[in-house]
Amino acid sequence: MIRMVGTRLASSTLTIFILVTMVFFMVHLTPGGPAYSILGMKATAASVAELNQRLGLDQPIIEQYGIWWWHLLHGQLGYSYLLSRPVGELLWQYEINTLVFYTVSIVVSTLLSILIGLVQGVYFGRWPAKLIGGLQLAFYALPAFFVAAMLVLWFSVQLKILPASGITNLRLADPGVGSYAAHLVLPVTTITLLTVASLSRYFGEAVHEELGKDYVRTARAKGVGFPAILFGHVLRNALRPLVTILGLSFPYIFTGGVIVESVFNYPGLGWLMWRSALSQDYPILIAIVLLIGILTVVGNLLADLVNGLLDPRASYE
Amino acid sequence: MSEHAIPTATSAGMPAAPLARWLGWIGQRSTLVAGLTITAVILFVGFIAPFLYPADPYAIHPAHALEGPSAAFPLGTDELGRDELALLLSGGFATLVVALPAAILAFVVGVAYGLAAGLAPAWLDRLMMRILDAVLALPSLIILIFFASLVTLDNTSLILLLGLISWPGLARLVRNEALAQRGRDFVLAAEQLGAGRMYIARVHLLRVMAPVLVVNGTFMVGDSVFALSSLSFLGLGVQPPQVSWGSLLESALDIIALDPWWLILPPGLLVFGSLLAASLTGQGLLQRWGGHR
Amino acid sequence: MSTVLDIRDLSVSLRRGRAGNVAILDDFNLTVKAGEMMALVGESGSGKTIAGLSIMRLLPKGAKLDGQILLGGRDLATLDEAAMRRVRGRDVGMVFQNPLAALNPSRTVASQIQESWMVHNGGSLRAARARALELLGEVGIPEPAKRLDDYPHQFSGGMRQRVMIAMSLACSPKLLIADEPTTGLDPLIARQIMALIARLRREHDMGVLFVTHDLSVVEEHADAIHVLYAGRSVEWGGAKGFFAHPRHPYSEALLGSVARVGQTRLQNIPGNLPEPESRPPGCRFAPRCGYAKPPCEAAYPPALSGEGTAAACLYPLPAGHRGQDTAMLQGKTKRNFAAQLEVQDLTVRYAGQSGWFGGAAKLPPSLSDVAFTLGRGECLGVVGESGSGKSTLGRAVLQMIPYDGHVLLDGEDFAGKRGAPRRLQRRRIQVVFQDPRESMNPRLSIGDVIAEPLRLKGGIGRAEERRQVATLLGRVGLNPEMAVRMPGAVSGGQAQRIAIARALAAEPELIVLDEPTSSLDVSTQAMLLNLLKDLAVEAGLSYILISHDFAVVSYMADRIAVLNAGRIVEMNDTEKLIQAPQHSYTAALIGAAPQLHRTTR
Repeated sequence: MIRMVGTRLASSTLTIFILVTMVFFMVHLTPGGPAYSILGMKATAASVAELNQRLGLDQPIIEQYGIWWWHLLHGQLGYSYLLSRPVGELLWQYEINTLVFYTVSIVVSTLLSILIGLVQGVYFGRWPAKLIGGLQLAFYALPAFFVAAMLVLWFSVQLKILPASGITNLRLADPGVGSYAAHLVLPVTTITLLTVASLSRYFGEAVHEELGKDYVRTARAKGVGFPAILFGHVLRNALRPLVTILGLSFPYIFTGGVIVESVFNYPGLGWLMWRSALSQDYPILIAIVLLIGILTVVGNLLADLVNGLLDPRASYE
Repeated sequence: MSEHAIPTATSAGMPAAPLARWLGWIGQRSTLVAGLTITAVILFVGFIAPFLYPADPYAIHPAHALEGPSAAFPLGTDELGRDELALLLSGGFATLVVALPAAILAFVVGVAYGLAAGLAPAWLDRLMMRILDAVLALPSLIILIFFASLVTLDNTSLILLLGLISWPGLARLVRNEALAQRGRDFVLAAEQLGAGRMYIARVHLLRVMAPVLVVNGTFMVGDSVFALSSLSFLGLGVQPPQVSWGSLLESALDIIALDPWWLILPPGLLVFGSLLAASLTGQGLLQRWGGHR
Repeated sequence: MSTVLDIRDLSVSLRRGRAGNVAILDDFNLTVKAGEMMALVGESGSGKTIAGLSIMRLLPKGAKLDGQILLGGRDLATLDEAAMRRVRGRDVGMVFQNPLAALNPSRTVASQIQESWMVHNGGSLRAARARALELLGEVGIPEPAKRLDDYPHQFSGGMRQRVMIAMSLACSPKLLIADEPTTGLDPLIARQIMALIARLRREHDMGVLFVTHDLSVVEEHADAIHVLYAGRSVEWGGAKGFFAHPRHPYSEALLGSVARVGQTRLQNIPGNLPEPESRPPGCRFAPRCGYAKPPCEAAYPPALSGEGTAAACLYPLPAGHRGQDTAMLQGKTKRNFAAQLEVQDLTVRYAGQSGWFGGAAKLPPSLSDVAFTLGRGECLGVVGESGSGKSTLGRAVLQMIPYDGHVLLDGEDFAGKRGAPRRLQRRRIQVVFQDPRESMNPRLSIGDVIAEPLRLKGGIGRAEERRQVATLLGRVGLNPEMAVRMPGAVSGGQAQRIAIARALAAEPELIVLDEPTSSLDVSTQAMLLNLLKDLAVEAGLSYILISHDFAVVSYMADRIAVLNAGRIVEMNDTEKLIQAPQHSYTAALIGAAPQLHRTTR
């Protein structure tokens, strides 16, 4: 077990290393070099040269690479000239919002997916499963921006029962949890609808597959009733792939998140990235890309580790 | 049973009427048929309809701004009084003309990389996969947004951008499949008979992987349309003045308080339709070929 | 002895897609008494597994069941699902094949045995655990207290099967159904499991219904035998009488096709088992029976009781009938073989599992210092249990895995060769794998599969290729029309013959056969071995025959090498090895294999 943890940690670290290096080189791909991006394309040669010198951009690339790592490990992620704030501070502030948002979404999605997947797996081949399957297919194909827009249209504009945006104003006035929650409902619903579609399908397939296995037949031969088979035998085996999928879908929640956050003007990491891309604020962009990359690797690692804990066989690999 | 059953000619008791048989044939393949039908519709809307519908998408009719569907404007008008149907068709063409070549590019690169890694010596394969893992660590939309902010966005750069971002997923799948199939007895037997790597890839691997490749290729097309529309929605895809489905939805969202449902539904449904077509076709093919691996 | 199980006129049909219901089992009658082991024997497709599942009412959806299944007087066929659930596990226990898949990998052994107990007895966890401990001890698991909380994958194959048996005994059932429990286990382990089941049936006065395709497995312990063919009973009765003198032609053929140590001829049953949809009226074995006469095909023969057993045959074999020559350990004429293959200091270390930081150094090598010489036209048998390294040896000779040491073909070392010369040399050694279907690309036609070696060599046109493929199909006894079919449409035996045809197309000098008959039915096995023998003579081929089945190897091989833990422990001419094994392991292997009992019992 320890060996497995060690190996996974080592390979994850290596992946992060390659990732950081890749991002470094991506930065230097920006046309004209980082200085131009910071100052804007109309900058004069003199101001570019001056900035280059100040930021150390005229030094050999190997040295810059080393300085890059130095800054990273010290938590210095750069400075946004456009917003006049250190990047680290910005990230932290926006990250909290995203964290709240995603955590709620993931929890709701997972619980719903397990329920739906159970029904789908147990009733495989019969109409409930086919109906669920059809719905999953349909919802999987719905683009995030369409779902968000439709929800806003129905619930905010036409029915007027839920707010579409303005959560930032709310924080300042501090009216209480209820209103805060109301602002979260539509964004969370959007993400949940999209995530549940694929998550529940994976789980449903896993449940169905487990139900066909030999050990289920053995349990029946012992006289075990169906509920006991489902919850005592099948569930723990079917949950394993779900954990892996959850770990893998970490980053993809950020993807849907960018769009959903932009629709609802929710001040999270995705929203920040969007505005930074539009205004070409590279220090922020680079930092977010790095952060997401590292989070993904960590997410995968956690998923593998949890899997290792759940699966008695994994300890012996 | 007192006497044992003498097996008679089994199968259907009564021959089905031709229509019933045809419906049954479709029913068995309903997913695939649905998928192909929607695909045909989308392709029509994207590539043929724009040249059939006469209205100019950029013509402004201020007097008719923000009107719902009517005889003159089948899908209504936007806030500038432009014909929504014309905008939709123009946007469709712009979207598909980038998304489809991008998907093809991604497919080719993905298969090539995956096969190369799967057939390479162990050390090279491990290296290639490490790089792949690092690339895959970043969600594709994030990378897309990042690079979209760097480059000037025209059709060529968008195709390259989309095509070069989404291939890693396929590459990993192909590599895993290639590795799995490479150890199978019939490949070993071919090697013993003197087959080289290229022969194995061509005659055995591709043939066995063909269903997986086609199904995933289908999904990739859907993903490509989704990615481009998302980028356009965020303002980082197809640039104005050219419209696209994503940008149309974004403009509609700006004035959503005015309840412009006819500006939201059509582009949204078309993107949805594209993804649905890809999913259904892929799913249908999977059902047909699933058993023959 | 009281009757535990009484099956009367059982007929089972299954739903097969569009075709509606297909009869699998017809007019099945069987009794099992307390303390008795009844062996239900039949090849795949005979309906034996369905019979077992019917008793437990574990049939798939859409199955129809007619007849009576009386257990202790109660008719199981009429019970509803809730009542049946109370019967399962408590009154009838069942043990399945492949214990690794049959046990839940995520639950401890203790919890799974406890479940058997608690489902029917409720009560405290402590009592259930105590019972589990007791059971583990009873089935012979060493240090049971320590192993209670282990998971299934932590046990070896044989131990896992013991766990399954323990689980089935939890509620002291009156009847135990064992569905091929020893299939897939090494011969030595299989014998131990058989002995265990035999002992348990006596100690608990339990009836055992032992379902198997392999007659040799039940020879030693069965009290009664029931033979099934194509869904109907063909012979049944006491085991002693059956083995001494089978009366139904199928039984005789089945017994005759089991390879026994020292045997020189195997009986071949021509033709194939009929599919359930196309079973002939009348006696179902008639089309393949050497003694059939016209009345056999008219109607199904009634049972004729005789001495010892009852047989459903119009012309049962008379007592004292001498069938094919199956005894006689004859001295194999010693031939002089010119040296063809030389293996020196062969060592294989599996580098595969090392990962980045290497760890494989800690694993013992799969093969150590193996050396032997193979003569032209000679057949060398390589025997060993799983993990002995015998497959590894085959792969090393075939150049499929890296190794240390030397392999020389006609004096030329494989080492140091690359590219085209290496490929040409490799071609001279061909291979036949264990799994016949896996060895063919499912998306290529049979003709393409056999033509592959011809195409790789190049130089012949389409027409000539087709001709050669047809010839090759003929050489292995298959219809040339088979060339257009796809691999999914042929039987296991046919697929293996196709694999041989493909190997022959490369005009090899030596063929490595890795467990070529292990996945096949006993009668198909006999056919294939006879074919291989004929081909060897006809084409001057040498073989390396790898198998865990000692009897099969002794039938084919001129010399035998016994492998254990990666080393050759003994190697000698076949008869010398069998008559006077030098190593205790060899003796154990010989003992575990089906013997010529008719002359030695």
